Amino acid sequence: MNIHEYQAKKLLSQFKTNVPQGKVAYTPLEAKKNALLLSDKGPWVLKAQIQAGARAKGHFLDQDDQNLSGIMFIKNRKDLITVSQKMLGHTLVTPQTGPKGKLVSKIYVETFSPAKQLFYLSFVINRIEACITLLVANETDNILDLAQKESGLILKINLDLNERIKKSDVMRVLSFLNLPENLFDDLKTFLQNLYKAFICLDATMLEINPVGITKDNRFIALDAKISFDDNALFRHQDVVFMHDDYEVGENVLRASKCGFKYREFEDGNIGLIVNGDGLALAVHDYLKQMNQKTACYLNIKGGVDEDKIAQSLKIMMTNPKVEGIIINILGGFLRCDLVADGIISAVSEIGLNIPLVARFEGTNKETAKEILEKHHFNFLTADSLQEAALKLTHAMKEND
Amino acid sequence: MSILVDKNTRVLVQGITGLQASFHTKRIIAMGTNVVAGVSTHSAGQTHLGVPIFGSVKEAVLKTKANASLLFVPAKSVKSAINEALDAGIKLIVSIAYGVPILDVLEIQKTVKAHNAILIGPNTPGIITPGEACLGVFPQNIHQKGTIGIVSRSSTLTYEAVLETNRAGFGQSTVIGIGDDMIAGCHFDKVLELFHKDDQTKAIVLIGALGGAYEEKAAAYYQTIKNKKPLIAYITGFENFTDDMGYASDILTHGKVTVDDKKQLFKKAGAIVVESIDDLHDVLKEIK
Repeated sequence: MNIHEYQAKKLLSQFKTNVPQGKVAYTPLEAKKNALLLSDKGPWVLKAQIQAGARAKGHFLDQDDQNLSGIMFIKNRKDLITVSQKMLGHTLVTPQTGPKGKLVSKIYVETFSPAKQLFYLSFVINRIEACITLLVANETDNILDLAQKESGLILKINLDLNERIKKSDVMRVLSFLNLPENLFDDLKTFLQNLYKAFICLDATMLEINPVGITKDNRFIALDAKISFDDNALFRHQDVVFMHDDYEVGENVLRASKCGFKYREFEDGNIGLIVNGDGLALAVHDYLKQMNQKTACYLNIKGGVDEDKIAQSLKIMMTNPKVEGIIINILGGFLRCDLVADGIISAVSEIGLNIPLVARFEGTNKETAKEILEKHHFNFLTADSLQEAALKLTHAMKEND
Repeated sequence: MSILVDKNTRVLVQGITGLQASFHTKRIIAMGTNVVAGVSTHSAGQTHLGVPIFGSVKEAVLKTKANASLLFVPAKSVKSAINEALDAGIKLIVSIAYGVPILDVLEIQKTVKAHNAILIGPNTPGIITPGEACLGVFPQNIHQKGTIGIVSRSSTLTYEAVLETNRAGFGQSTVIGIGDDMIAGCHFDKVLELFHKDDQTKAIVLIGALGGAYEEKAAAYYQTIKNKKPLIAYITGFENFTDDMGYASDILTHGKVTVDDKKQLFKKAGAIVVESIDDLHDVLKEIK
């Protein structure tokens, strides 16, 4: 689970990390009011609250203003309202949002914190070495380019699990950043508090890009991104409340109410319903070979309830991009005939005007096939992935 | 032969009395698995499905010489259950439950290593040597004893691969799901090593996915093997799609990794790469 910057900063300040003073605003008037509460003469920073990075490199979809991005530096109080008007209620596209972008419904108003030095810092679960790794870079832009070069431009330190950062590790960071030794204690405290937050919150990623060093030598988190381990959210009810439903989208929410996983892609026109991510991937690869694209998929793993299966088909049909559906089920604990019943129940209620191919394997696959084939709707069935993909694309052409 | 489990494996089931555990324990016994003990603090002293139940793993190991543990305990209790098994001297642990907190898994990994044990999972269908032992939740009646070793991250694709090897007329030596969580206990390269030492295994099918770099490690290891057994790799994943924010995970892999990147590594290492899971049986047929 991800949260917004303003929420992350609030959490981090509870772990004694310096963050700029800030207040979230939902309207331009509120943005101005909050800015003046924070400081009467500025400057201020207005930051679009979307859960994606590279906001400063972003642009707004329906705005001509070339200078407008997701992070705006404001000197004059008269600009507070005009600039927030251009941000709030508009769609921000950044290199990380995809071309569709994300709607900005709130902005974070901060006092501007001048810094004499900036650097990149993150803690992340290292999947290969099964540990937590600290990453530090002197540059704050084009981090991924640095990572590809692999020439020691990014410092990597694998940490122990005991919440402590060793003196020697602090020294390494200090010299990597070319900082004077009198900053050792402050750096140690800064790293220590963040690492403590990472572990106490069951984070999977905590990224501060950038960290600023102020004139009076304080380390300050100018941005903050935190991702949490979904499997550990049961330990963090306060974090669960920070979930932003808008960020995940309506269909994802509806699916999650059934305990299912729904994922949507940028393009494509075929919807997949499966009981395991692997089954979706297998079909997806087949379609790719045939120059077809997946629009979305719904994983009903763990679902053994006819009504919920019917619900899943209904969710999929609300996606206007879907022009054909493949159902790929490998029955084990979940019986194929139950899925067939679910399909019929959904279609009887809302109809079906696009082709649907079902491929069943495993428990009760013959019964399931029979149920669909006997029905008066034009359901298609297939015995292999290849057959399913071929039948669907053929039917979609005819349906055109 | 086979790897890790066979008819001589003495299996202990932790959390044996649960609903899912009972269902699957019954099935694996029917599949010929030598289940010698169960552990459940509530039902110690009783028998369940014909298996004696003990109050602790230590006692069970002492009385029954169990040497492998299958865990059906809920995700929240996995850490303590694995610690108990390790303390009792168990060297092979299979943990089925999904949803184990990542920090727990990191700690578990450390302890498992310190005990020189092997952990399969979490979030895995388990491990099966057809006709001999099944420590997991694989579908019934799809496995055939044979010569292909299968190792996979995705559980459903494991089953597809099993069906493909049957279609090609080979059957399986041992099938392992290493699990599809962020951190897997046992990695591809370790399993490749074991399959290469096993006489029964003539060829290996590996099913990898995007995320992490277990495939990279496996390809690098395969490249170093002198007497290579044929390796057929299928790599898949939804590209341009991630829940991750920020750059940190991409930094660890030196930039964004694509399915093609992973495929290329296997090709360079000398493996056969298939574009679709359905292609497996045709490729297998060409192997002697």
